[in-house]
Amino acid sequence: MTAITAQPTRTGNGSTGRRPRKGAHYPGWFIMPAAVVYAILFLVPTFASLYFSLTRWTLFSSEFIGLDNFYQFFREPFLSQALINTVIFAAVTSGLKVILGLLLGVLLTSRIAWRGMLRSIVFFPVLVSTVGVGITFTALMHPTHGAINEALALVGIKGPGWLTNRYLALYSVALVDVWRGVGLATVIYMAGIVSIPTDYYEASRIDGATRLQQFFHITLPLVRPAMYTVIILSFIGGLRLFDLIWAMTRGGPGFSSDVMASVVYKQYQAGYYGLSTAGNVVLFILIALLAVPLSWFLNRRVTTR
Amino acid sequence: MNRIRKYALSALAVLFALVVFVVPFIFIILMAMKDKQQASLINFSWPTHFQFFANLIEVVQARDYMLLTAYVNSTILTVGSVSLLVIFSAMVGFVLQRRVAWWTPWVDFFILAGLMIPPAVVPTIWLLQSIHLFKTLHGMVLIEVAYNLSFAVILYRNFIATIPRELDEAAIIDGARPLSLFFRVILPLLRPVTVTIIVVQSVAVFNDFVNPLYYLPGKENATVQLTLYNFQSQFVTQYNLLFMNILLITVPPLIIFLFFNRQIVAGMSAGAIKG
Amino acid sequence: MAGLQLKDLRKDFGTVEVIKGVNLQIRDGEFTVFVGPSGCGKSTLLRMIAGLEHISGGELWIGDTLCNDVEPRDRGIAMVFQSYALYPHMTVHDNFGFSLKLARVPKAERDRKVREAAQVLQMEHLLDRKPAQLSGGQRQRVAIGRAIVRNPEVFLFDEPLSNLDAALRVDMRMELSKLHQQLGTTMIYVTHDQVEAMTLADRIVVLNGGIVQQIGTPLELYKRPANLFVAGFIGSPKMNFLDITAGASADGLTSLDSADLSGARVRIAETAVAPGTRGTLGIRPHDLRLSAQGAVAGEVQLVERLGNETVVNLRLSSGKHWLAVLEGDAEVGVGERIGLDFAPDKAMLFDTDGQCI
Repeated sequence: MTAITAQPTRTGNGSTGRRPRKGAHYPGWFIMPAAVVYAILFLVPTFASLYFSLTRWTLFSSEFIGLDNFYQFFREPFLSQALINTVIFAAVTSGLKVILGLLLGVLLTSRIAWRGMLRSIVFFPVLVSTVGVGITFTALMHPTHGAINEALALVGIKGPGWLTNRYLALYSVALVDVWRGVGLATVIYMAGIVSIPTDYYEASRIDGATRLQQFFHITLPLVRPAMYTVIILSFIGGLRLFDLIWAMTRGGPGFSSDVMASVVYKQYQAGYYGLSTAGNVVLFILIALLAVPLSWFLNRRVTTR
Repeated sequence: MNRIRKYALSALAVLFALVVFVVPFIFIILMAMKDKQQASLINFSWPTHFQFFANLIEVVQARDYMLLTAYVNSTILTVGSVSLLVIFSAMVGFVLQRRVAWWTPWVDFFILAGLMIPPAVVPTIWLLQSIHLFKTLHGMVLIEVAYNLSFAVILYRNFIATIPRELDEAAIIDGARPLSLFFRVILPLLRPVTVTIIVVQSVAVFNDFVNPLYYLPGKENATVQLTLYNFQSQFVTQYNLLFMNILLITVPPLIIFLFFNRQIVAGMSAGAIKG
Repeated sequence: MAGLQLKDLRKDFGTVEVIKGVNLQIRDGEFTVFVGPSGCGKSTLLRMIAGLEHISGGELWIGDTLCNDVEPRDRGIAMVFQSYALYPHMTVHDNFGFSLKLARVPKAERDRKVREAAQVLQMEHLLDRKPAQLSGGQRQRVAIGRAIVRNPEVFLFDEPLSNLDAALRVDMRMELSKLHQQLGTTMIYVTHDQVEAMTLADRIVVLNGGIVQQIGTPLELYKRPANLFVAGFIGSPKMNFLDITAGASADGLTSLDSADLSGARVRIAETAVAPGTRGTLGIRPHDLRLSAQGAVAGEVQLVERLGNETVVNLRLSSGKHWLAVLEGDAEVGVGERIGLDFAPDKAMLFDTDGQCI
């Protein structure tokens, strides 16, 4: 018998001497550091915005003017246009990312060659600086010298002023945003697709299903959770977008490609802090009104299956 | 027959991907190599005079080596915010997953709010000014932490759910108090998620444009994104330099991508598919 | 070294009472096994002793200290978990030494104790490995080693062998027995496997529904179960039961009436049972013998020949099924009508409340 000599470890009352509380090992104060930073730098301004949006504000003095700022958003064309643009932009980019992302996801999880390299190529734009992307595509989209229009000219099409045409500008930026962001949607879809058990496909093959049928009857239904994630993420992201718009058009020509985020900045630059903050609140309400019911609706579809 | 179709499809897919996704990058590289006149044509020609290094030097030297300062600032910002983010959010995720208290639903709500509510910028500036953090790098670090907490906490919480509680109990019996339990037992086991968060968040903070635009104006504190943006007006006739700048600030994410591709992809899809 | 005393221990989760008043005395150095079906509360009881579950009522004494509100690390206990709960990122050496490191024991002494524990378990050559590089049995021993290093007064085992395959389980059982002999420490062991209980325990505590059914040595539980539950739980194959009505008594033997019995008699140890009393007869399959004029008769449904014994599944006239384990290679075939008999001493009678008479 080996001698394991040591004094017994039982000390009775314990070092605390107190009754060990239920949460003693997972103390609440672990939340403190994060909570402090979050509360001060995020919650306080958010609550403050609710007040300041109702004022004419110069950072040193604020004058309560009620809902005037909000009325302006619906009265002034350059503001109401931004509101509409925001929704259009979010819908367009989200829709395209959802569809193209799915197609790319299916393609990149099928048995084609160079899959790995293709996945990297598709995903890399997500990691690149938005300003850089904006500047690059602004150059490519130059009405006369831009590579895109020069390429179109080669086949005899006169390319439009992608960013100079007031009716096109917003959609051009939307296309660039899709170029940039579809990789993320693809990755999310791929994660969903590879989690579908291959048994389903094998069983359907025995049953005689074609690839197209497999797509519609197996892939599409079972990829729904991933799809809903993509929808919500890209929609909210689209509503909040600032970087690309600012880098490419600054909201122009005129204000035809302004969105809520760029308006918030412009009003801030102009010194209309109250109006700018109201823009934040409008954006917040927009997200709440559109994204929350959307999310709730989609999640319901998933769970009631 | 099917084999040919498969290869045809592959070839078509590759071509499509190359054209759409790679061509813009080729454009950037070409432009960065050209001289001033040729660059102003902004077309897809091969550079006649190879000026890569001359452009490089000129961009780096511009405005008293502002690019270098910007790199330093961006690095400090990224390292500082990501380090704090990892520790803070791991602690929250840990307690949130292991213990259900009266405040749990509230914390859940605030996490969700953090993901959806757009930050109110002007009030934030007002706040930062009153606590003397406006236009400071450390203020910016805290902002980045605050804005990215939700995502990181969700990632940690979901992962900690896979660590069996018995491990906690064994450590408790061994005598571990909360801090020891967290730092010696739990945190080391969180390495996969931590790597993912470091990688994903580093890229996000490095590429962040809008937040430094609002909260960090001024030359001394400029980040690489702001510098690029400012150079747009300075290099309005020097596209070659502008694109060299773009190339230079694409390099760090590229390096991270080459080494940590797997973690990035895992992180983005994991955080996105809410548990 | 310490014994334990559980005084009217209770535990409730909200409105559900899981442990309903357990009274128990465990002597110093004893190997006690808590056994019972799933959900009987044995693991909960163990965790209450460990301090991982809050005690709702009653008192827990470890040695001469009231430990209800004492932190686990100060109770002088060590625990081996069902899943071993080894720290995956630490080597075996660090797993052993973790508790010492937390107690700020100097490195030299820490290493010494770790080496000692490794010696006891013959694991010195594995000290630098990580748990992922070990086999199931080795991990098991690391879990035990981690407990040994703490030099506890009470070892707690929570179904430690459940995750091992059958052959390994038998080996580890013997090792645990040896360990107990070597260290002589009080050990409390939880299992749902009554074979483990029977082979390892000095004393067994049978639990069901949060209530102690019986406490005793393995043999006591086998020969004199206190109630129907214990009788049916201990012993494999399960004891056979039959509803009967007591008949007349003579010479200390009481006859039993039942549709399936003829001439069955049981020796009742205590006061005689009034004729007409209803109850349950219990007889173990091993105590039945072939007998042409036996008390029990039935049709053979299934025969399992194991070489050294034969297990016969019998269908009685009432439709009930009994099992009989006969020696050697019994000459019975499926479909045959056979008779079985038993010694009156071996049979047990239970009243309508399930208590042994």
